[in-house]
Amino acid sequence: MKKIVALSLMLVVLSASLFAQGGSEESAAKEDDGVVKVALIVENTIDDKGWCQAMHDGILAAQERMPGEIEYSYSEKMKPVDAGSAARQYVADGYDIIIGHGAQYKNLILEMADEYPDVTFAFGTSAEVGPENVVTYMPESEETGYLSGIIAATISKVDVLGVVGPVDGGDAARYNRGFVLGAKSVKPDVEVMVAHTGSFSDYIKAGEVAQSQIKAGVDVLTGSSQQALGALRATADYPDEDIWWVGQDLAQLKMAEGQLKCVAASSYDYAPVIVSLVENVKNGVKGGYCVPMNFANGGFIFGFNEALSDLYGSDLEDAINAQISEFVNNPNSVDWKSVDYSQL
Amino acid sequence: MDFIVNILALGIPFSVALLLASIGEMFNQRSGIFNLGCEGIMAMGAFIGMLIPYSVGQGGATAEIYNFLGIIAGALVGALLGLVFGVVVITFKAKQGIAGIGMQLFCVGAAGTLFRHFVGGTQSIPGIGKFYIPLLSKIPILGQIFFSHNILVYIAFLFVPLSVYILFKTPWGLRVRAVGTYPRAADSLGINVNRVRFQALAVGGALAGLAGAYLSLCQAKMFSDEMIAGRGFIAVALVYFGHWDPIKIMWGALLFSLAQSFQLAVQGQGINFPYEFAVMLPYVLVILTLAFSRDKKKQEPAALGIAFDREKRT
Repeated sequence: MKKIVALSLMLVVLSASLFAQGGSEESAAKEDDGVVKVALIVENTIDDKGWCQAMHDGILAAQERMPGEIEYSYSEKMKPVDAGSAARQYVADGYDIIIGHGAQYKNLILEMADEYPDVTFAFGTSAEVGPENVVTYMPESEETGYLSGIIAATISKVDVLGVVGPVDGGDAARYNRGFVLGAKSVKPDVEVMVAHTGSFSDYIKAGEVAQSQIKAGVDVLTGSSQQALGALRATADYPDEDIWWVGQDLAQLKMAEGQLKCVAASSYDYAPVIVSLVENVKNGVKGGYCVPMNFANGGFIFGFNEALSDLYGSDLEDAINAQISEFVNNPNSVDWKSVDYSQL
Repeated sequence: MDFIVNILALGIPFSVALLLASIGEMFNQRSGIFNLGCEGIMAMGAFIGMLIPYSVGQGGATAEIYNFLGIIAGALVGALLGLVFGVVVITFKAKQGIAGIGMQLFCVGAAGTLFRHFVGGTQSIPGIGKFYIPLLSKIPILGQIFFSHNILVYIAFLFVPLSVYILFKTPWGLRVRAVGTYPRAADSLGINVNRVRFQALAVGGALAGLAGAYLSLCQAKMFSDEMIAGRGFIAVALVYFGHWDPIKIMWGALLFSLAQSFQLAVQGQGINFPYEFAVMLPYVLVILTLAFSRDKKKQEPAALGIAFDREKRT
């Protein structure tokens, strides 16, 4: 019996030492080979043609820009209550950067950052500057909204525009208000109807909002977050009518209804954020800063739908390009907070 | 005037999924079983409904056939899941509330997983378009409100008188009501209580599946695993709201959907009012009506939620 106990104890000690050695070797190897391990936690899926896909695509683009320097994993469908276990697993697996993609992960990220000071945590949207191992990012999406507003007001024949918002907060609030300002810059008397679904993922309700607005006379609509796909789909129910959509994700342009109805779209490009994040971690800067995303720092990309080129002329393209140049030279110049929906 | 016409014209199609699912749930509850898994069955119906036209019939002259095959498949899967639920709560006599929650979680998860496996990311489909009823759709105002919808809208509203007839005028309807009210008496008269309950669950499941297929094929024309967004639970609430009466359930579904249509229209008018309260309006309205419209003559089925065991004296 004693022999068995002794043998068991020896095995336990041996295996523990082996595992410990393996862990340190892994750490040493990580420092040597210069690979930074990045983990992404999202509440939806990485192919949602919206919020989550933009970040996923950004990380993949960053991997291409920094070949062999980024190792990447992701966890989808993570509610904030479930995300903690995934994040802890990533910490245990030696990940250097853990991104909770959404403001709903803020509390979790701050708690984890306190618990694991050697790991870099990131979340957004948030303009707050967090602890020294936390990075936040804030898309200044009033710029993309402004462009969408210019396009919508220019192509509108009835001068009544619609906004299908998820909630009146975060980057969605900035986008929607930027849209209003952009539209008013072209046609000061244009009418803008704004309605919110109260959800980022209720496609059906977004479709209902769009139908309601179209029935009320709107001829150009926009919207942000993944729920906006429901609204885009609703515009496709009017294939032969002058009902158009301006998107907030370039992936929408590739969809069948996007080809039919989406005049132009802008996207968040997270690649510069990820590249700077990885470079900072390599240089020993774990956090304590906020990355604003705008046209000036390459945080946004924009594209027209060439299939609908008859709808917009070169004048509109020139106007949009001029506005993008203006944003590059003068970032953070759209006073989105000045918009009061009740005054529209 | 246009403002009101638009609210009415949109409120009617918005109500269809709720109407179908709640009439199905009414059959369940009339037989003595409540199925909180309605939400999950709707999700599976939505997925299967979308999968068939997506995988075999994208566009072309045959697209409509595949759309309707999707509708039928959604209903069949719903019926099958209703029977599975029956095995759990009738054969194994599991607690109905817990089993329903389990059913809901399983089906939503399964629909999402199967969707990712067979379809991938969010995809849209052509779906089923509107069917303008000849002549009637041309009537001013009324044509737009009542006769300019897709075919499933008309079918759904036909289910209301049909279910009234089935429930109150046919021997099977009598048996359903009997096993939900006093199963022991029904059993003593030679009615196979559990068989009738299985049949009711199949009907209820089929209608829930049909409701889901309506959402993916007619309303959203796409699928995502969170698209049901609580509508299955609202359908269960509407059964209580309607006191297990198909006509009152229809009014409940219409009230909810018209309130929804109204709040969306009002939001667009830029009235200085927090949109969060506007979004809550349909739910608050249903809760208030539930609280203040208690009909003492219309009690819930006496055996609702109680498993039947002919060996036990209850």
